[in-house]
Amino acid sequence: MASESTVAIQIRTALAQHLKRDADKVRPEDRLREDLGLDSLAMIELLFKIEEHFDLEIPNEDLSRIATVADVTAYVEEKLGAPASTSAAAVKPAPAAAPAIAPAAAEPSRPEPARAPAKVTSIKVAAKRKAAAASSKTADKKKGPRRA
Amino acid sequence: MGGDFAGFGTPVKKRIVVTGLGVVSPIGIGVDPFWKNALAGRSGISALPPWQDLPELPLGGYRSQVAGQVLDFDPAAIPEGVHPDRYDRYAQLSLVATQEAVADSGLRLDRENPHRVGVIMGAGMGGMLIGEEEFAKVYMSNRPHRVHPNFIPMITLNSASGVIAMTFGAKGPNLTISTACSSSAHAIGLALGAIRAGQADVVLTGGAEASLTPLAFAGFCALRALSTAYNTEPTRASRPFDRARDGFVMGEGAATLVLESLDHAVKRKAPIYAEVAGYAGTSEAFHMVVPKEDGSEMAVTMTMGLHDAGVSPTQIDYINAHATSTPIGDPVEVTAIRTVFKKRADTIAVNATKSLIGHTLGAAGALGGVACVMALRTGLVHPTVNYDDPDPACELPGISAEVQERPIRSALLNAFGFGSNNAAVVFSQPSAPARGSRPRAR
Repeated sequence: MASESTVAIQIRTALAQHLKRDADKVRPEDRLREDLGLDSLAMIELLFKIEEHFDLEIPNEDLSRIATVADVTAYVEEKLGAPASTSAAAVKPAPAAAPAIAPAAAEPSRPEPARAPAKVTSIKVAAKRKAAAASSKTADKKKGPRRA
Repeated sequence: MGGDFAGFGTPVKKRIVVTGLGVVSPIGIGVDPFWKNALAGRSGISALPPWQDLPELPLGGYRSQVAGQVLDFDPAAIPEGVHPDRYDRYAQLSLVATQEAVADSGLRLDRENPHRVGVIMGAGMGGMLIGEEEFAKVYMSNRPHRVHPNFIPMITLNSASGVIAMTFGAKGPNLTISTACSSSAHAIGLALGAIRAGQADVVLTGGAEASLTPLAFAGFCALRALSTAYNTEPTRASRPFDRARDGFVMGEGAATLVLESLDHAVKRKAPIYAEVAGYAGTSEAFHMVVPKEDGSEMAVTMTMGLHDAGVSPTQIDYINAHATSTPIGDPVEVTAIRTVFKKRADTIAVNATKSLIGHTLGAAGALGGVACVMALRTGLVHPTVNYDDPDPACELPGISAEVQERPIRSALLNAFGFGSNNAAVVFSQPSAPARGSRPRAR
């Protein structure tokens, strides 16, 4: 069974924690601002978390490259020197355990972080779900073209 | 000078005037050098030197490495009798600015009822330097028994207004207004209110900031609010309204304005530079660090300020914009200006004092206020430096990289602060009878 990269899972899990929702409710194609509702301060908080966790620097001039969850993953993988395909859509073998950016132990009262890795779904499943959701209920979906 | 006001009639509200100015800024200590350099478009932004006493703290860890520093400030310039070691740099800057303003106004405290002279100052961060040093003693070195006895009196946000009152003998209301970047604009507005309300005859007002310190500077870097693209070309970093702007430049400085009732100023034959005609303070109740994007809240604030002043939009000839040089803030402010002034927005002179000195946070409104008063006095609007390539998102015909000369009847000062808060102050020619000409209903 195919799955996302470790980095992708970590980023998605961290975002889910920040948004206080299940990790499978955060999809790679989600736009950080429009779909997930991150305002500029929330964006900066997320970038800070990523910089801390992966020990890297994200200069301001790179921010224009980051619009979706997948963009974040691609950016981090590129910075970390991940192999050839740096797209978040690149399918990689699932790791045995993908730790969330913030360790579950930090917030024992919230069950999500601990369970998050187990709940992570593959891109394909997520895409299917999205398609299903789109056909059944489109009211809360923004249909505009993705921002570059 | 006072004779000009004889027989003017009974004002609706008590009229309040500016009778003295004082400045400590990255482009000069003293109003004259400040104004001369402002008109010359001389940038006061310079490269950050390595932190004093902290040579091992790498500058490379700071995304932004430029700032509006007051490089030539000498603590020995503070008034005699004040112990420099007891007051943080921000209070020292404020003392020197106030000393100039009081001398400029000819105010003699020994001839005043001291309880009728107040001090209302703005401060955004307060005594940061000693704060950071003492935190380190406790948190990093486990030496709580070595915390300096002056830590509390120095870090307290009202240490500047306190030492000013002590130094000059002002025993009236003594307040500090802290609303981040709009602090000193609110301070001026509340000084106006205090005199109008009869709580004082004279108020020394304005603000000061000196938080170019290792932790505070790192904090603004972390917020990604600061310019990072011009670290090797400091004078180009602060560029409000320009297409290539990429964040604000932190600055430090102080400015003091002597405000008093017109009656009081006339009675003591003080120089009268301008009238502080009106003020509005509002909250956007929206977001800690970003303005409402349609500018509607800023527009309401400006409109309320004009209304309080009894000045119509057609009487405003100059706007000293908040304009910090951030990608988001500048267009929002211009949108708001267009909302309030409609077609007239195309004919008003607009500039950004921050293009010269950076964003001096709690001192910004006061330094902008000095620019307003000087523009009213001289008919000159200082350039907005680095306005090389107008950004269509925040373009106004009245923004210029050159000095603009024009008669100015009234000037509007904008200041917006973290914490979702806005201020607008209106300054007018002291001879212009603004009263009675209420703004039209909209």
